[in-house]
Amino acid sequence: MAVKRENIIHLPLGLLGFEQIKKYVLLANASEEPFRWLQVLNDPKLAFLVISPPDFMPDYRPDLNPDDAKFIGLTTPGDALVFNIVTLRGPGRATVNLKGPIILNRFTLHGKQVIVTNASDYSVQHPLLGGD
Amino acid sequence: MLILSRKAGESLVIDGRIIVKIVRVEGDVVKVGIQAPSDIPVHREEVYEEIQKNNREALTQSRPMLPKFTRKSSAAKTETQHLEPVPSDTTPAK
Repeated sequence: MAVKRENIIHLPLGLLGFEQIKKYVLLANASEEPFRWLQVLNDPKLAFLVISPPDFMPDYRPDLNPDDAKFIGLTTPGDALVFNIVTLRGPGRATVNLKGPIILNRFTLHGKQVIVTNASDYSVQHPLLGGD
Repeated sequence: MLILSRKAGESLVIDGRIIVKIVRVEGDVVKVGIQAPSDIPVHREEVYEEIQKNNREALTQSRPMLPKFTRKSSAAKTETQHLEPVPSDTTPAK
């Protein structure tokens, strides 16, 4: 699959635990919405399932450290795209990471997996499907 | 592990570019200020390990069938997210 350079997502610091993997592409299939795949650019087998807060938790309020906002190049909240990583835990069960979202600059697609400053309000394994 | 004694207000310099300052000592709590380049992430260890573990569990090498999930609201609200930067005690001292 050819990926246009302007569609490549750059995470210069990688994801926590995957610091060496810095380039991704976001894939969406109509049949899988609202889920999307954050796929490793150079190894298409590898991917993280993600979901966007308005689709599952409209009142999600991640607060950013000013240094993280600067690193991502955000001047207003509207410049940001937010994705939360979903973990499939078994048939019909899934959790979502609210403590460490991936925040992208929507114009540059550069971003970072941040730890929100209000992390104590949010779980790494918030039940998304299948109850708790 | 290198172990050094420091008093409140004193600092350490690592690699000529990272400054770790003991800001305050209150009982069994030590407030630490860290000044580091933006490409050096600094995290509380237990939170870092929790998210690292979760990322490893989330990584998939196949594309499983996804469970049915109904959106909680219309995607038209996408632009209303609150992301104001806030001051934090994790902010490196400038």
